[in-house]
Amino acid sequence: MTAETTESTKKWGMVIDLDRCTGCQVCVTACAMENNIPSTGEDEVAYGRGMYWMRIQRYWHGEFPEVTPSFQPTMCQQCNRAPCEPVCPVFASVHSETEQINLQVYNRCIGTRYCANNCPYLARVFNYFDYELPVPLNYALNPNVTVRRRGVMEKCTFCVQRIHHAQEQARIEGREPTDSEVIPACAQACPTSAIVFGDLSNPESEIGKLSRSRRAYTYLAELGTDPRVIYLKGEGTYGG
Amino acid sequence: MKTEKVHLALFAEDQIDQAAEAIERLRKFGIPDQNISVISSVPYSEKILGRPMSWTRIPLIAISGAVVGFLVSLLLSFGTPLLYPMTVGGLPLLAIPTSIVVTFELTMLGLLISTFIGVFVETISPSFGPKGYHKSISDGSIGVLFICPLECDERMHASLVELGARLEHYAEEKLWL
Amino acid sequence: MAAEVKPLTSAELYSAHEEDPREQLMHDPRPRQELNDMVMEAMTTTSKRYWIAVGILVVLVAVCFLGAWGNMIATGIGLAGVRRPVFWGIFIVTFVFWIGISHAGTFVSAILRVFKAEFRRPFTRAAELMTTFGLAAGAMYPLIHLGRVWVFYWMIPYPNQRWLWPNFRSPLVWDFLAITTYLLSSTIYLFLPLIPDLAMARDRTTGIRHFFYKVLSLGWRGTEAEWFRIRKAINIFAFAIIPVMFSVHTIVSWDFAVGQVAGWNSTIFGPYFIIGAILSGVSAVITILFVLRSTMKHMDYFIRPEHFDSLGKLLLIFSFAWAYFFFNDYIVTWYGGYETVRAVLTMHATGPAAWVWYTMLICNIVIPWLTLWNKRIRRTPWVMFIITLLINVGMYMERVTIVPLTLGHQRSPFDWGEYVPRITEVSIAFGTLCLFMLLYLLASRLIPLIPVWEVREGQAAHTLRKVGKTTIPSVSELD
Repeated sequence: MTAETTESTKKWGMVIDLDRCTGCQVCVTACAMENNIPSTGEDEVAYGRGMYWMRIQRYWHGEFPEVTPSFQPTMCQQCNRAPCEPVCPVFASVHSETEQINLQVYNRCIGTRYCANNCPYLARVFNYFDYELPVPLNYALNPNVTVRRRGVMEKCTFCVQRIHHAQEQARIEGREPTDSEVIPACAQACPTSAIVFGDLSNPESEIGKLSRSRRAYTYLAELGTDPRVIYLKGEGTYGG
Repeated sequence: MKTEKVHLALFAEDQIDQAAEAIERLRKFGIPDQNISVISSVPYSEKILGRPMSWTRIPLIAISGAVVGFLVSLLLSFGTPLLYPMTVGGLPLLAIPTSIVVTFELTMLGLLISTFIGVFVETISPSFGPKGYHKSISDGSIGVLFICPLECDERMHASLVELGARLEHYAEEKLWL
Repeated sequence: MAAEVKPLTSAELYSAHEEDPREQLMHDPRPRQELNDMVMEAMTTTSKRYWIAVGILVVLVAVCFLGAWGNMIATGIGLAGVRRPVFWGIFIVTFVFWIGISHAGTFVSAILRVFKAEFRRPFTRAAELMTTFGLAAGAMYPLIHLGRVWVFYWMIPYPNQRWLWPNFRSPLVWDFLAITTYLLSSTIYLFLPLIPDLAMARDRTTGIRHFFYKVLSLGWRGTEAEWFRIRKAINIFAFAIIPVMFSVHTIVSWDFAVGQVAGWNSTIFGPYFIIGAILSGVSAVITILFVLRSTMKHMDYFIRPEHFDSLGKLLLIFSFAWAYFFFNDYIVTWYGGYETVRAVLTMHATGPAAWVWYTMLICNIVIPWLTLWNKRIRRTPWVMFIITLLINVGMYMERVTIVPLTLGHQRSPFDWGEYVPRITEVSIAFGTLCLFMLLYLLASRLIPLIPVWEVREGQAAHTLRKVGKTTIPSVSELD
């Protein structure tokens, strides 16, 4: 029995169009607000301990003065064959059987950080201290998401709280949730609609069509992690 | 009325030949092998002393400990995932290569711990045979401990002293708890 | 005119370069009582210097180890220098280092025993103590580096009401099992040959020491049955603990090798780490033997230049073997062309922390290869002390190269990062070194450090035989 066995018919995934991404970082901010990500402070961020579940990888191309940036929003790729899962000694990193995404169980994590080392996308972040939110900001915490204490790993969850909410609503009404009912914070905030979320197994949905674009590729595909995030190549890197 | 007495004949460190000869003479006096014991501070093989081989159950205990360790490891690496399965991507639920590691470690742990338990239990178990000890043993003397019937006392004394032994008589001493 | 050939006199038979076999420990027998006196005196003599050292070490352990670790538990792992992408730092490096050092004891007391290398006899116990205390120091690290150490027991397999078992597919759980096995086995393997010497100590002490030895020696008298039993058990242990020793460091190496980290996913990590461990461990044995010889009474009778000589020869061979495995790993991954690994290797040699890589190569290859072939150098204890300290520095740098440097230079250049050890990590690492030294100092005055019965057994088996015109040392097999 491996993670590839699906119990639900939904194959939640994401398509990110790098041609549309402007690198505005609104997805980063929205994700931080939705998921109660603490801010670690200037010194910690300077040392490389900023907590970004979603980050924009920015590369410069060209020689001065024709320098252009390219942006790649990167988060947990929710791999089907996630390398972070078999190495956790206490099963804190498991594959969800209903949503078929990679789960991080905060109250089981003992903080060995092996999963973070083994993630080729470096998508995982660690709580090095108990980070306090200064007074007005703690009123903005999202009640649907837990707050993590120090010593546990965390990462992008495809806003699983929103997926669950849509699934519960749909079950009350006796049907399956549709793509338009589930939208993670990053996709909701993106001004150019570069991030599209939905059921990859449905060929008629918007995401199904986008994922079959000729520009589609997966990040570090040669590693065989089979991620659920599909990128569409940006300007200057495709076509004739 | 006691008919026998426990004697300890002490030979100097380099007098292993005399000690072996003394055992021969004791046998001629009719003292059975199980009433003779040789105590020393370095191991002397039974062949050197002309004695029957000792026996021990330690190898058997060790192997059975290894089997127990093996079974525990099978339980842990196959039993626990079957009883309480957790899906983890990238590796099958019952993976033989990873279970080999766990199996090897727990089997060796079983083997080694049970060897120690065997030594411990056999050492503290009461032994049948003459009991006695003298501190000069740990300083190198070779001791021949034997139970001699009182009739042979005089002749035995003379015979052993001729070989160079020092004879001591001690009651049983509690060397452990 | 024919050249005059004079027959050699026996005085000339042993020139300044050759060693007179009568200088060897095995050919210099003393009465057992004298050996016992020497060992007991070494064990029970404590000078002011000793107590000052113990006092300083206790303070250092309390402050640098327990204090810093307690502070880190109360405040958070952030006090360490780990950061994304280098999630493992000095703690894991020192962990691998201590586990490597702990292989010394098993090598000396098991492998050399199986191969009947007689020169091992006086220092098997000193080496086994190193194993036990090295493991004690190293086994703390899987706890120290945890983010939530107060729930570490979730890694232990026990039935619980949450129906949760640890993940036996994870190398960290294999680590836990392997280190537990090795720690228990080597403690028992230390204890078994110790029983006859504890009996000797029991016979020569009074008071609390006498009670302590009486309980531990299990009523040992030295009867044939007892000897038979214990030799059988020691034989089983010697043969069985060798695969355990190989498996422990292999499993530690698999913490790295089974991951997909570029530069770690190399099949040669198992044997590479084992050879590194034996190199590191044998060096540490030599270091400790020098310290013992210089500080404890009568140790210069038991530990002689011949032992440094034989161990030094082994050290040279292991240095060759280590260089072979290192180069094997390097050339195969560098030639093979996986871009990320090539970048990692280039960064090791030319990046901002290249001094680590060069220190490793100089200490592990250049220094041993330049010095250890020379018999005079090998037979000079203080020179061997310096060489082996440097080898251990080199081995520590090897682990620094493998763990933090490689992690910081993975596939996505946006995520590269440098790692800087912080004071908490350095303090805790230093604290475990002090803990090791403290435990060793305490043990050296609690149990007899030399296995006297084994030395005596060896001395009884060694004779000098006259063959032709010369006397030749010969060993008989008294087994």
